[in-house]
Amino acid sequence: MKSHNQHDSKQVLSIKDLNVRYGNETVIEDISFSLTEGEILAVMGPNGSGKTTLFKAILGSLPYNGKIILGPETKIGYVPQKIDLERNLPITVEEFLLLRVQNLKYGDVLSPETALGLVHMGAPFLHKKFSELSSGEFQRTLIAWALIGKPNLLLFDEPTSSIDVAGQETVYDLLHHLHDSEKFTLLLISHDLTVVYRYATKVLCLNHSQACFGIPKDVLTPTGLKRLYGSGNFYKHATV
Amino acid sequence: MPSFGFLQAFIAGMFIAASAGMLGSFALLKRMALVGDALSHVALPGIALGLIFNFNPFFGAFVFLMSGALLIWIAEHKTKLPVDALVGIFFSVALAFGAMLTPKEELLEALFGNVTKIEPFDFWLAIILSTIVITVLYSFSKKFILTFISPDLSLSVGLKPHRLELTFLLIFALSVLIGMKFAGVLLMGSLIIIPAATARNIAGSMYSYVLLSVILSVIGALLAVTASYFYGFQPGPAFVIIAGAFFLASIFFKK
Repeated sequence: MKSHNQHDSKQVLSIKDLNVRYGNETVIEDISFSLTEGEILAVMGPNGSGKTTLFKAILGSLPYNGKIILGPETKIGYVPQKIDLERNLPITVEEFLLLRVQNLKYGDVLSPETALGLVHMGAPFLHKKFSELSSGEFQRTLIAWALIGKPNLLLFDEPTSSIDVAGQETVYDLLHHLHDSEKFTLLLISHDLTVVYRYATKVLCLNHSQACFGIPKDVLTPTGLKRLYGSGNFYKHATV
Repeated sequence: MPSFGFLQAFIAGMFIAASAGMLGSFALLKRMALVGDALSHVALPGIALGLIFNFNPFFGAFVFLMSGALLIWIAEHKTKLPVDALVGIFFSVALAFGAMLTPKEELLEALFGNVTKIEPFDFWLAIILSTIVITVLYSFSKKFILTFISPDLSLSVGLKPHRLELTFLLIFALSVLIGMKFAGVLLMGSLIIIPAATARNIAGSMYSYVLLSVILSVIGALLAVTASYFYGFQPGPAFVIIAGAFFLASIFFKK
């Protein structure tokens, strides 16, 4: 785990009494936490516990009650989990990345080539169609999409831990390197305890309401996990 | 030597096809091919009312199409009804009403269109409205493309997918209205969809996809108008057959 200097720890995200409803159903109830620059927050919780909804609220793409305060210079990058994107679209990687740039409201961005470089994909990929990408390359492209706007807060919805054929590097390794080089704050949805222990500086346990928040070794106790997932229904240390 | 009427049909056909081809390429990204097809049917009662009460059928079609577009949008976003079935049923009923109301001698033209009989007023209207459709599509293209290929990503960069969809549906209705003269109520859907589907089979990028869709549509329209002039075919059905042939050929070029 990385340790971070706390001396100029600027607040990047602060959430107070967040509530989200879909119709009559309360999906998120009274969540409050805050993050400072450079932190890695792992969001854990069973399926349907409101993790993705939390991300969408932070992105401002659904209505909520309570406060979500972003730092004055916070720029968000978002890597969705199940992307609603068809793989056989007639679109090249470069065109896709430029769509992000062209729809951003500020000008300070990376070139598609630089963004692809960050996820270890070379310039020849710029002109490949989506249908020509492997699933690993596709996920990297989505990460490049998030990085191209130079975010200082990256929301990552459950990376699959599949190993990419190219570099034998997992998405987590890549994220870890990027976190070091690009200095963003990272919010990560993950079920993988090994990943959480290894990389996260904070953990948020979500089960509609806030089951825990704190440093992994303090809050991820057997009792805490049992309360979150029910008995035994979580990943053990062995993976990765 | 082709008459002035032929030239007019040629030019109007070109504009109509360009706007329909461009619109189609966007519509196909959103998988709303069938919605568009059904939407064109709703114009018929409007045309019928125009013919019965002696006002320009264009305006009748305009009112019905815009209301139709709005209804689709409301059904999609404000209710939990299954949109496909609803659109299919509602617009088929509209077509049936239109077919019953439309005077027999006008029905064939309303159903299949005939750009070679275009009046000066309709000619200019077609050119102006086509230009509007192309301009709006062009200026919204980045927003439309992102929203149609991924509503999630669109939301995440702060776009408003619902509002963009309404804008697109209204432009769609406008495009159907323009194409009515060319391909009629029944075949208008194919003017929008077939060139786009063909382009999708062969395009290597988004840019070439949209451009090819426009080019294929324009070539098809020009061939159809020419065929109708020299051989007396109806241009609407001729276009669909030509465009269909292009599509068939494109399957073998599929990358």
